[in-house]
Amino acid sequence: MATLAALVATAPTAIAEALKTAIVMPGIKTDKSFNQAGYEGVKLAAESLGIDFAFSEKVPQPDQPEALSDYARRGYKVVIGLGGEFQEAVDRVARRFPDTKFIVVNGVKPGGNVATMSFDFPALGYVMGYIAGRADNGDKVAYIGAQKLKFYVELGEGFAKGFKAARPGGEVLTAWTNDWDDVAKGKEAALSLIGQGAEVVFPSMDNAVVGSYQGAKEKGKKAIGIYYDAIVDWPDVMIQSAVFDMRHALVKILTDAKNGTLTGKAYIYGLETPEATRIGSYGPSVSEQVKTEVNGVIEKIKSGEIKAK
Amino acid sequence: MNMFSDLQALTDFLSTGLRLSIPLVFAALGGTLSERAGVFNVALEGCLLAGAFGAALGSFVFISPYAGLLTGIGMALLVGGLLAILAVRLGVNQLVAGLALNILVLGLTSYLSRLLLTGDGRRIVEGFAPYPVPFLADIPLLGPLLFKQDVMTYLMYATVALSWWMLWKTPWGLVLRAVGENPRAVDTAGMAVDRARIIAVLAGCAVAGLGGCYLVLSQVFLFTEHMSAGKGFLALAAVILGRWNPLGALAACLLFGLCDALQLRLQFGQPDVPYQLFSIVPFVASFLALVLFSGKVKPPASIGIRYERGGK
Repeated sequence: MATLAALVATAPTAIAEALKTAIVMPGIKTDKSFNQAGYEGVKLAAESLGIDFAFSEKVPQPDQPEALSDYARRGYKVVIGLGGEFQEAVDRVARRFPDTKFIVVNGVKPGGNVATMSFDFPALGYVMGYIAGRADNGDKVAYIGAQKLKFYVELGEGFAKGFKAARPGGEVLTAWTNDWDDVAKGKEAALSLIGQGAEVVFPSMDNAVVGSYQGAKEKGKKAIGIYYDAIVDWPDVMIQSAVFDMRHALVKILTDAKNGTLTGKAYIYGLETPEATRIGSYGPSVSEQVKTEVNGVIEKIKSGEIKAK
Repeated sequence: MNMFSDLQALTDFLSTGLRLSIPLVFAALGGTLSERAGVFNVALEGCLLAGAFGAALGSFVFISPYAGLLTGIGMALLVGGLLAILAVRLGVNQLVAGLALNILVLGLTSYLSRLLLTGDGRRIVEGFAPYPVPFLADIPLLGPLLFKQDVMTYLMYATVALSWWMLWKTPWGLVLRAVGENPRAVDTAGMAVDRARIIAVLAGCAVAGLGGCYLVLSQVFLFTEHMSAGKGFLALAAVILGRWNPLGALAACLLFGLCDALQLRLQFGQPDVPYQLFSIVPFVASFLALVLFSGKVKPPASIGIRYERGGK
């Protein structure tokens, strides 16, 4: 009888303790890219942390404030806006729901009950640049981006700084293609840069990166992958990959939310959180000595001895 | 910039421009054929994408780029068939039908590529290797540029010439242009208007599909979702800029391709020039062409209008 009473007593608290989380996404959860990673991250966190979650797909910008406040009104304690474009909507609604924590992925304005989450793009860019510089592939490498958005500019700048640290006389060529999906243009950009003498290309577009890899492959040059360990698809091209793992980053920030330690600050996951931001696998041409050096560089960035930005 | 002083660099630059323009040329030719017959073909984007998907699928399954080429044309013909049924037979608004098809093809090819082309659709397929034309390939500058290409490029030259000849030098072309200008006259002469339009739409979509085949079989050797990346819409601008003439369309597409190539090149020498500047050139050029040529060259008179027998 006593146990039964205890069960009855604990059951409601157990339900009350289950954190209610919602994610609002600009695209579909099966896009094999940004949205899917966001959705799967929250799902993974829900399963591993025992929290409840809900999601909304394909929410256009004008509807974002309403979608966010709807969840807050319904008692969701953590509401995630997936993408920097949610910053404005969150700014507008956050004050009305002080009991709810908002997280803006790739956001730029934390404060109060608003946290932002992003990756340390310059840091991993620096490491990639350093690897490109020490991989004995010549004095010129290239960075290819789609559009000059803040994070991608910083990634390229980190890459250039790392490369020059490894090769003081080296040069980093940069090209912006103005298209995230155009594979043909991704390839032509890589071919142009290789024509200018680039030995390693580091493209950071979406779908279009495969064009750049193809260009590098045809010319017998090397490339650096992004977001996932690209060597599984391009074994003879990759020397390394910059892995920005959205899934585990979301698990990490939701763990903080569950423990009640989430505050209104910028959560930037860098090399000290390898589950979110890490290097992938090395290509066969990279020597053990270089790998050891790179580990040293990573430690120095973590300790603040090297500034990637 | 020593781009123009160095022959090799110049050849590289022009080759980049040519390669970037080839999918556009096919698409713009397809659009020209269809619009000359009085049917707006906004589905060019979908034709490119369907062609690309078909090319990857055919080459993946049969391990032959020629099989890929045929499958790609087949897929583009399916899009053309739907467009013909909707726009010509059923008289659905041609722009709406075209846009709807684009969305359909985008979704369908993404879905099917995940299903059929294993490994995220990143599977590398067999493609065409460059085939230098004997003697011609040895001409300085022009040789490597024009005659050290692969089969698809030569196919593009042939398609431009053939469609120009067909449109202006054959009775067939006369009928095709007539149904775009004055379908009643064609009907009065005892020829089937809708049939001619359907054939023109099918031919146009098949030609546009070749552009998609080029992307896969000659350029990147794999299919990615939305790899057409708006080229179909750029081709629509080329159709207008080229004044509904295959040779004009070729010139317009070469201009667009060279602008893209210039955008990629100039960034190294002139980092201060905003890269977006070159991206707007095609649209500014089309806009200017519309303004400058207004009154002199008109689009086919009956474009976008469904022909109804006994109608007004």
